[in-house]
Amino acid sequence: MNTFFARRRNTVNQKLLVEDLQLGYRSTRSGTYSVACRDLSFEVRQNEFVAIVGPSGCGKTTFLSAVAGLQPVTAGKLHLSGRPVRGPGRDRSMVFQHASLFPWRTVTGNVEFALQAQKKLNPAGRQRVRELLDLVGLAGKENLYPKELSGGMMQRVNLARALVTDPELLLLDEPFAALDAQTREVMQEELLRVWQADEVHDGKTALFITHDVPEAVFLADRVIVFSRGPAHVVESIDIDLPRPRHSSVKRSPEALAHVDHILDLVMRQGGKERVDDEDPATVTS
Amino acid sequence: MTRTLRQSPPESEVDASARSLDVRPSLWSRHRELWLGLIGLLVILLAWQLCAWFGVIDVTFTSSPVGAIASLGDAFASGEIWPPVGSTLASVGIGMLITVVVGIPVGLVIGRSPVLYGLTEQAISIMYAVPFVVFLPIIIFWFGIGDEARIVIVVWSALFPLLINVVAGGRNLDANFLRVSQAFCASRVRTLWSVALPATLPYILAGVRQAVGRALVGAIVAELFMGTDGLGYLVQQETANFQMDNAMAAIAVIAIVAVVLTRGVAYLERKLTFWSVND
Repeated sequence: MNTFFARRRNTVNQKLLVEDLQLGYRSTRSGTYSVACRDLSFEVRQNEFVAIVGPSGCGKTTFLSAVAGLQPVTAGKLHLSGRPVRGPGRDRSMVFQHASLFPWRTVTGNVEFALQAQKKLNPAGRQRVRELLDLVGLAGKENLYPKELSGGMMQRVNLARALVTDPELLLLDEPFAALDAQTREVMQEELLRVWQADEVHDGKTALFITHDVPEAVFLADRVIVFSRGPAHVVESIDIDLPRPRHSSVKRSPEALAHVDHILDLVMRQGGKERVDDEDPATVTS
Repeated sequence: MTRTLRQSPPESEVDASARSLDVRPSLWSRHRELWLGLIGLLVILLAWQLCAWFGVIDVTFTSSPVGAIASLGDAFASGEIWPPVGSTLASVGIGMLITVVVGIPVGLVIGRSPVLYGLTEQAISIMYAVPFVVFLPIIIFWFGIGDEARIVIVVWSALFPLLINVVAGGRNLDANFLRVSQAFCASRVRTLWSVALPATLPYILAGVRQAVGRALVGAIVAELFMGTDGLGYLVQQETANFQMDNAMAAIAVIAIVAVVLTRGVAYLERKLTFWSVND
């Protein structure tokens, strides 16, 4: 229903179109085919920050990989800026779940890798790397190696690396899941600050995967709840909290109401059929 | 945030009072393993020397530390030792160059291809397990006893330890690194050069370290059996002439070369893979 309204509302600003999408993979050993997403339909508008939540193992990460072009589409439509996604592209950047920084490169070297990969490492690019490292709060840490960084700092590098290619669509795969609670709060605010401080666009289009519902509500313009796998959209909730947001927003009655509503949806997804292996605690974390 | 933690007591004061209790570790405790190693070595040499002095053993057959060291001194003083050292190092050097140039790319390709790995795994581990010395007669039969044959033996002995390590490195290449490379649209060459190669560097260098040791063994064995030059040939010749002091001196030089080579690669490993999380 929501997709219907979204399509009517504005097709010009449409950034990502997902229609009856099916994703899955075949195990090479057993030959069995497991479906990660089925009949998945929604869309994302230009400059919109969309968070996707759902029970663990529901296919969120597979979906994001497909948008990144790292996972083939089995059936249905997955269009980015009006063109079908056929592979990785320079118009997208991914912030990976585990920092996946190259341990043999310094902070600067890791961010520069994104530009090197796209043959854009020129003086202007190096300048942009410096600016971004400043923006994500890593000034003075440029020459450290990943093993000298804390988890939070690693994810800052990961974020800077994703932003440096100036992507149209930013994909974030549970970037803060591995951080401790305090660092996570800080990083959520930092992400919003960086996202809001982006002068090139008024906030890039972003797809943020998480299983942390308060995080999703705090960050996103819209939260999409995925069902238990194979994933389809359960509900899409507009988060009309004013921007710029500060962490105090999380304690506001509006935000808490959203969190309660979404948590309820997610828990019902997780708890109904798979009570044994779905831990509701992971959802509330 | 950190400031609130520092409120009481002032950091500098704590440091100062703690520092007054510091004791600089003694010269002994700082290099304990080195000292123990040296003492162990000295005890053995001393026992050998005492046996020689008291006539327990015949120095004509066994030489003695004092005699060997005197001979070693002579060899260095006269400069006679350098041509054999140069010859042996040349064999090892050329052999290692060929080994590295062939072994690293071939190992990476085998490691990254499940089919090639399946095809070659058994052959490589058999070749690694079989003592290469048994191929010596065949290699002499094929290549004669010239310089090429020496290089062939060095490569033969050094290639398989390197190959096994590089293949393991290729197989253990972290898929996350490759996904990053792929997601940022890096070309194949870029991925190989900037991701696959540095990621497997710890394996490559471990392989090189093992290979260098084996290469030296290969070179010495080749010289013992078919050399006209080199440290192995020197040992062979001096022993044949009953010059046991000279033979022992040559063996000491081989030991020094071996230690320098493997320690050198170990140093290189520490310098180049300091970023590795494992250390």
